[in-house]
This record gives sequence, C-alpha cells and structure tokens, in this order.
Amino acid sequence: MTALAVFRREWTGRRNVILLALGMGFIQLLGLHFGTDAGALHDKAVVMTVGTGTGLAWVVAALFGATMVGRDLEERRFGFLLNHPIRLGDIFAGKVGAGLCLALLSGLLVCLPPLLMGGVWRVFSLREAGSVAGVWLAGSLVLLLLFHAVSIQVRSRSLWLVLDLAAWSAFVWGARILSLRLIAVGAFAGMFRLWLVLLVVVTVGLGIAGYLQVAEGRADLQRGHRWVSTTLAISLGVALLIGWVQVAWVLRSRPAVPQIQPGSARGR
Amino acid sequence: MTITQALRPVDCRNLSVRYGRIQALDQASFTVESGQVYALLGRNGSGKTSLVRCLLGHQKPLTGRVELLGQDVWSSRTALMQRVGVVSEEPDAPPAMTARQLLNFCAGLYPKWDSAAADERLKRFRVPMEVPFGKLSRGQKAQLSLTLALGPGPELLVLDDPTLGLDPVARREVYDELLSELADRGTTIFITTHDLAGIEGIADRVGILHGGRLLLDEKLEDLKARYHKVTWAPFQALSPADLAPYAPLRIREGGLGGEAVVSQGDPRHLLDAVRPDLKVHALSLEELFVALVGAESEVAS
Repeated sequence: MTALAVFRREWTGRRNVILLALGMGFIQLLGLHFGTDAGALHDKAVVMTVGTGTGLAWVVAALFGATMVGRDLEERRFGFLLNHPIRLGDIFAGKVGAGLCLALLSGLLVCLPPLLMGGVWRVFSLREAGSVAGVWLAGSLVLLLLFHAVSIQVRSRSLWLVLDLAAWSAFVWGARILSLRLIAVGAFAGMFRLWLVLLVVVTVGLGIAGYLQVAEGRADLQRGHRWVSTTLAISLGVALLIGWVQVAWVLRSRPAVPQIQPGSARGR
Repeated sequence: MTITQALRPVDCRNLSVRYGRIQALDQASFTVESGQVYALLGRNGSGKTSLVRCLLGHQKPLTGRVELLGQDVWSSRTALMQRVGVVSEEPDAPPAMTARQLLNFCAGLYPKWDSAAADERLKRFRVPMEVPFGKLSRGQKAQLSLTLALGPGPELLVLDDPTLGLDPVARREVYDELLSELADRGTTIFITTHDLAGIEGIADRVGILHGGRLLLDEKLEDLKARYHKVTWAPFQALSPADLAPYAPLRIREGGLGGEAVVSQGDPRHLLDAVRPDLKVHALSLEELFVALVGAESEVAS
C-alpha cells in the first residue's frame, strides 16, 4: 500500500507537531490550576479541552493543507514522490490521511492533560466525546482541503486567480440570497440544512480538485492550479444549484404564512 | 510499430513546452537505444529541465509524447517507475529522513529492491546512515540519491545533472558507480550534465539542446570523426576558401595564430594539398560543445 508509505513520510517530517501539542497540553494544565477555585475547575477544564483541542486540530489541519503539496512544489521536492512507483491517488490519500491524523492527534494531546487531571473525563459521555471528535474530523478535513486549494492558487500566481475570486464571490453571494429567502419565511431548520448541503458539496469538490491537482498537475504548479480552479468553480456552481433546488422545495412545501388582515380581529 | 521501436528505452517525439511567451522546448525528438549512454548537453535555460520533467511524466508537454521502455510515460508513470531510476538535479528527498529511513521507504515500494547492494554502496560512499538527508553534504546527497535510484536494479537510469556542485573526488565516484553499473547490467543511461569532461569517457551518444531546439543528436564517435580543429602558426593566414569544403563552424585569428573548427570531412587532406604547416586536432567534447553552441549563439545574435 503505497499510500501508507506516503503517510509515514509525511509523519517523519512533522513529528515536532506532536511534541508541541504535548507541551501546550501541560501549559494548559498549569493554567487550569492557577487562579481557579474548585467549583469553576470543571467548567474551565471542559472549555479548555474542547476549545483548545478543536483550535489546535483545526490550525494544524489548515497549516498541513497549506504546505502538504504546495511547499513541496515550490521547493521542488514533489518529484521525489513522482520518481517512485507511487500511484497519484495514493500520494494524495497518504498526504490527506497523514494531515487528518496529525490534526486529530494534536487536538487530543493538547487536551489530554486537562482531560485526565482536571477530571473532565468524568463529565464527558462517550457520545459527547464522539461528537467532539466528529466535529474535529469534519472541520479538519474541510480546512485541510480548503487550504490545499488556496495554497496552490496563491503559489502559482497565475491569472486563474481571477476565476477563483469570481467563483467564490458568486458562491457567497448566491448562498446569501438563498439563506435570506429561507429566513424571510422563518425556515431556520431549512437554512441549517442548506448550509450543510453546501458545505458537503463544496468539500467533495475540494477533495476532487485536490486529487486532480496532484494527478493532472503533478509537478507543474500552473497546470495544477488550472485543474483546481476549474473543478472548484464547477463544484461551487453545482453546490449553488443543489441549494437553489432545496430552497425551492422548502418554499413550495411550506404552508403559506397566513396574512393577517388589518381589522379582521375587531370584526369578530 | 516495430519490435525494435517498442523496446526503445527512451522515445521522445516532437516535444514542445511553453511558459507563457517563452518557448522552453521546440519540437524536440530523439531516441535512446538499449544499453546506450545518452548525454544531453545544453547551457543553463536551454530547456534541459523541461525535457527531463516531460521525460519522467512530471509535466505534460504542449505537444508531442514520451515513451519509456515502450510505454507512454504520462499514462503509465506508476508502472514505469518500477523499472526507471531517477536522480534529480536538486536533491529532493525529504530533509528530515535519514539514509536508513529513505532506504526503508524505497524498499517498501519496489518488489525487486536489493537491500544488500544498497547498504554496501552507501558504505562504499561513506554516507552516514543516521544523519537526516537535509544535513548531508552535497556530495553525500548525490551519492545517496544515486543509491536510491540504483536500488531496484532499473533498466533505465535518468540522471539530471548528478554531479552538479560536487568536488572532483565525489564526481569521480559517481562516474565510477555508473561505469560499474554499465559493466554489470548494461543499464541504459540518460544523463544531462554540464560536466563535459566527465561524461566524455562514458557517453555513446550526445544531444545538444540550445534555445529549446535539439541542435544535434549523434553518436559521440561519429561527432569526433566529423569535427576537427585546425590550427596554424602566426602570420600564416589561411584563406576561408581553403576551408570551405570542410564546412567551418568558426574561424579565429589572433597574435598567436589561427584556429578553425570544421564540421565535415577530414581536413588532414589539406595538409598535403595546401598547407603542410597546418595542425589538425581531435576535439574534446567541451571544445565541440563550445564551438557548436557558440556558433549558434552568434547566428542567433
């Protein structure tokens, strides 16, 4: 499994992140015990555990995404992987897998000391822990893929950046219009679902764009950027289209808001 | 396609690469036969790196295609890299990985990896096993890269300026290793280099790239038979008409006499017929390169 070899290679170069997370965890522990009365200790530990863990996991994912391919290309190191019999899909999967594991492990390590020594483990149910891990994983995946795409777009310094900016602007504008239409009829649950759908479709698009950047761009940064831009623009368009269909469906299936006639109550 | 064509280790056809307005490669075509050592020469910016990137499937050319060992390199890169060893111009292994980790990394990727030979080679090169790649000297990085490239017993070696920045001893060691590889296994070698003196002893065929165009692609021995340097003493000027049948590339006259590089025929006939005082010399690869590229640059300017 050549993806595993890529995974290990990424880990070897970034082991220091783990030490950093452990160090931060112990600093947190010190912060937990200074200036905190016993009653507030639990609350503070919970906030620290969830907040810092999520923050570090997401920061590591974003930084990893921004450097996992872009930096290799800029420093002309990407050829090392291409010169060996490693499938292009495995290069991408190995890097994304390593980034996610590193992000999750960093998040876990930074909150491990307060989790264990602050007694937080007693108030967390397994389900809650699972939810937190799910949020870390989903957020890390989105940020890793997003920052990978952005790093390629920025590093290539080509005119395709204009398409990227136009596509993202159109997407934000479209999402805003759709959200406002749902807010106007008070469909807040529908709006939440709309954002979820947009996020899922855009994340899938980012994943495909990232893979195509590696598979079709290879060591050519500009060509990789073209693939990222084209795929992403299509994905954002598809996301908006699905969102538009969803909003239309919500508005159609929703009972009409009763119009209150002025003076009608008085008449009865 | 004939069987001979299908088995050619390298077959480049009409390769063109553009970066915006710059034409980096212009319809370059050449082949490398099995067991041959092909040296691609060129000045900085002549298009060598673009060509090597296309050759290894790192970059898609604007036009043309590359076949290595009978397979299209863009679509069959993964399978081909089992049979091709590569040393890049810039040592590109991850800086944090030690030689041992790199050997283990590569050993897991190739079914035919020869661990004993790789260990032995590193010992011979005196490359430390536990020092991160980023902290090795330039020579040690090149030697480790060569070891990794030779590990799977490749049928084709692609070396992009492997001796760049090496001291003479390290350079000699790299060439000795290549010679022993050639003697043992008859591996086909494609090499780009600026070290013309070093490559002269091992190259069978030479290509010269200039301004993105392949100026020349010929067997080294044919080149040496075709090109000669003619010198004459001061105040014994030689008429260009006398040299005309030999297609002179460049004629220079100065206080110490004159010299000309001729590109066809054997000017020794001149000695008997016209000027017995002339001297005819064989050209080194470096002199040949300077004469050809210099003449082309003069024409271009």
